[in-house]
Amino acid sequence: MLGQQILNGLVSGAIYALFALGFNLIFGVQKVLNLAHGGVFMSGAFIAYYAVVSGLPFWVALLLAMLACGLISVLIDVLGFQPLRRRSHADSEFGAIVISIGVDLILASLAQRMSDTKVLSFPFGTFPVEFFRGWGLRISLLQIAIVLLVALLLAGLVLYLQRTSFGRQIRAVAINERAAALLGVSARAVYFQTFFIAGSMAGLAGVLIGLSFNSVHFLMGEPYMLKAFVVVVLGGLGNLPGAVAASLLLGILQTMTVAYLPAGLSDTLIFSTLFVVLLFWPNGLFGGATVPAGIGRQ
Amino acid sequence: MMDFLRANQPVFDFFLLALGFAYSQQIVLRCGVFSLATAAFAALGAYACALLLTRVGVPAFVAIAAALAIGALAGWLVSVPLAHLRGVYQAIATLGLVEVIVSLALYAEPLTGGAVGLNSLPKLVGTPELLIAVLVVGYLVHSISGSGLGRSFDALRQDEMVAASLGISSRRNHALAFVLSGAIGGLFGGLQSLYAYSVQPTQFGFAFMVSSLTAIILGGRRSLLGPAIGAAILTLLPELARPLAEYRPMVNGVILILVVVFLPQGAGDTLFAAMRHRRARLAAAAAVKV
Repeated sequence: MLGQQILNGLVSGAIYALFALGFNLIFGVQKVLNLAHGGVFMSGAFIAYYAVVSGLPFWVALLLAMLACGLISVLIDVLGFQPLRRRSHADSEFGAIVISIGVDLILASLAQRMSDTKVLSFPFGTFPVEFFRGWGLRISLLQIAIVLLVALLLAGLVLYLQRTSFGRQIRAVAINERAAALLGVSARAVYFQTFFIAGSMAGLAGVLIGLSFNSVHFLMGEPYMLKAFVVVVLGGLGNLPGAVAASLLLGILQTMTVAYLPAGLSDTLIFSTLFVVLLFWPNGLFGGATVPAGIGRQ
Repeated sequence: MMDFLRANQPVFDFFLLALGFAYSQQIVLRCGVFSLATAAFAALGAYACALLLTRVGVPAFVAIAAALAIGALAGWLVSVPLAHLRGVYQAIATLGLVEVIVSLALYAEPLTGGAVGLNSLPKLVGTPELLIAVLVVGYLVHSISGSGLGRSFDALRQDEMVAASLGISSRRNHALAFVLSGAIGGLFGGLQSLYAYSVQPTQFGFAFMVSSLTAIILGGRRSLLGPAIGAAILTLLPELARPLAEYRPMVNGVILILVVVFLPQGAGDTLFAAMRHRRARLAAAAAVKV
C-alpha cells in the first residue's frame, strides 16, 4: 500500500516537474512570474482533446499540442512582456505578473466558450489501458509512458542547457543579460527559446494530466499553477535540478497526505510548507542558484 | 434620479465592497509591499463576523468591530515573518497564506460549514452602512496621503535603500501597512458576510486576489480616487456591456494588458498626473503674463 502510494506520487511528481520546470526556466531567465503558464497548460489539454476528437492519432495530437503551446507561450512573451522590457520601468516585475494574469483570463475564457463550461474527457481507447503487476505494485502503461517521456525530456533539456551553444547562451542571459548582449548573444533569440521550451513542456503536462485523470476543463490550470509555486519555492526560484527534486517530493507528499490524512487537510499542509520554507530557506531546500546547473540572475 | 439609484442599488453596493477591498490592497502596494493577503484578511473577517453573530450571539456592531480587529491582528502577525522577504517572494508567501486560510475553511467543517459555507445569515448591512465604511476608510487613506506617513510609504515604494538612508524604518512602516490592510480587509470581509447572507470559502480564492489587484492596476497605486475608478470600471463594465457578459473574463484580461502596457501608473494616477501637469503649465503661463 505504502509502496503503491510512493509510486503514484512519483508519477504525479514527474508531471509537476514538467509543468514547474518551464515556469522556473522563465523565472530564471527573465525574472518574471508567468502566471499564464497554467493557461498554457490548460490549452495543451484542449488542443490535444480537439485534435483526438477530430480523428488525429494520439501521438500527432500530442506533438500538435506541444508545438501550439510553445507558440502561445512565445506569443505571450512577444505581445505582453516585450513591451514591458523595452520600457524597463522600475516596477516591471509587478506589471509582468498583471499582464500574465490578463493572458490567463483570456485563455480560460476562450476555453470556457469552446467547451461550454463542460468537463471534457478523451474518448475511450485514446491510450491503451493496460496494467502491469509485480512486487505487490500495480502500474499502468500510461504511468510508465509518462515517466519515460518526462525522463527523456528532462535529460534532453539538461543536455540542451549544458552542452549546446544555445544552452550556454540561455544561461549567459540568465546570469547577466547586458554582458551576454555585449558578447553578441541575441537576447531575443534566448527569450524565444525559453518561452517555446517552457510552453511546450506545459502543454505536454496538460495533455498527460488530462489523459490520466480523464478530464479536461477550462479551470484545470489553476491548481497546477498554485502547486508550481510550491515547487519553485521548495526547489529554489531558478534552480532547475531543485525543481525536479521538489516536484517528486511534492507528488509523494500529496498522495501521502491525501491517502492518510483527513480530507481537505492536504492543501493546508502543502501550502503551510510553502510558507514555512519561504520564511526560513528563501533560496529553497537545495541552496538556490549556487548549484552549478542553476539558472538565475545574481 | 432616485429610480435610477434604486434600480442599480445592488451594483452600487458591489462597487462599495470592491472599493473597500481595493483600499486594503492599495495600502500595502503603496508602501512597496507586494502582498496578496487581502483575500486572507477578508476571509478571516467574514468568518469571524458570521460565527460571532450566529454562534455567540453578539450584536452586529460588535461582530464587525471584531472582524476589523482580527484582520488587523492577522496583518500584524503576517508582517513579522514577512519582514525579510521582498517582491515576488512576498507575493508567493502571501498567496500561500491565502491558500492555507481557504483550505482550512474547507477543512474545519463543523465550524465553517466546509465547502457549503455559512448560509442564511441575517442581512444586517445595507447601502448606508457600506457607504459609511467606505467614507471612513477613504478619509483615513486621504489623511495618510497628506501626512509624513504617506510620504514614508511613497519613499519606501520608490527606493527602499534611499528611504532607509533617510531614516525611514522599512520594518515599522511595512508592519503598519500590513495592519492597516488587514483591518480594512477584515472590516469589509465582515460587512460582506452580513450583506450577502452567506460566506463561502471559494469567494476568497484566486479570483478574489485577481480582482482586488485589478482594481488597483486599473485605478492607480497612489491616489485616493484611483481605486474608486478601478472598482467602478470592474463593477460597471459587465453591466454596461451586457452583450459581452459571456466574455467578461476575456474583456477583463484585455483591459488589464492594455492598461499595464499603455498606462503603467493606472488610469486614475495617470489622469491626475496629467491634470497636475496642466494646472502647473497654466499657472506658469499666467505668471509669465503678469
